[in-house]
Amino acid sequence: MSSSCEHAVEQIYYYLDGEMSYVRRMRIRWHLRRCGGCCRAFDFEEQVKMMVRQKSRTEPSAELIQRLRTLIREEAGEDTGP
Amino acid sequence: MADQANFEADAMQYAPQLYSAALRMTRNPADAEDVVQETFLKAYRAYDSFEAGTNLKAWLYRILTNTYINRYRKAQRRPSEVELGELQDLYLYKRLGEESGASESAESQVLEQFVDTDVVQALESLPDNFRIPVLLADVEGFAYKEIAEMLDIPIGTVMSRLHRGRKALQKKLWHLAEERGITGKAS
Repeated sequence: MSSSCEHAVEQIYYYLDGEMSYVRRMRIRWHLRRCGGCCRAFDFEEQVKMMVRQKSRTEPSAELIQRLRTLIREEAGEDTGP
Repeated sequence: MADQANFEADAMQYAPQLYSAALRMTRNPADAEDVVQETFLKAYRAYDSFEAGTNLKAWLYRILTNTYINRYRKAQRRPSEVELGELQDLYLYKRLGEESGASESAESQVLEQFVDTDVVQALESLPDNFRIPVLLADVEGFAYKEIAEMLDIPIGTVMSRLHRGRKALQKKLWHLAEERGITGKAS
């Protein structure tokens, strides 16, 4: 692993999170174009991030959604009530 | 200033994702429902202080997060500020690489075998102070700055907790993969 690989890996989350200046981003991209190993590692980390997003949702019951609507309407009713 | 009369129309679209986030925070459906109801009630009451045109989703998540943290503080006296040991960068990638040798697509194939309950279990295994930043960044897609504002902590703290939390999540995923025999190990 070269020092530019080490540098790229240190920055991996800033890069994947889009929390990096344009110039730094371009520098990482430049390295990734030349380094198959880092490119593969970056792809993998991105896939993990996507997986966490896609496989961690739980839908609420329709009953809860209804209860929230009722709660808001009751609260609104109190505001305008006598 | 936002009009309270529009609250239901504006905010209800976020209810499913707020519930899901609350469930990952509380790890328990009954508590998650309570936290979401309290969040909506507080948000409705404060809606005239919400500046229309700014990020409503972030505003709601801020209320949700604070509602959770306050309840937790009441119940536990203090929030859990657990430390995680230093973990290697690219934790899961490296573990999988060691198991499967040089096969190009093996790591991705392992990821496909993780099911929702694995990811949920891994997320829920993280201590609060790491779980919440990971949840807000990876699941909800908030920027570091937004998370720092929601949790009222410096942005540098968000980054270090997020980065360490992600590695700990990967370590848990690795253990789950081992338990289930899906590490891609050549048999």
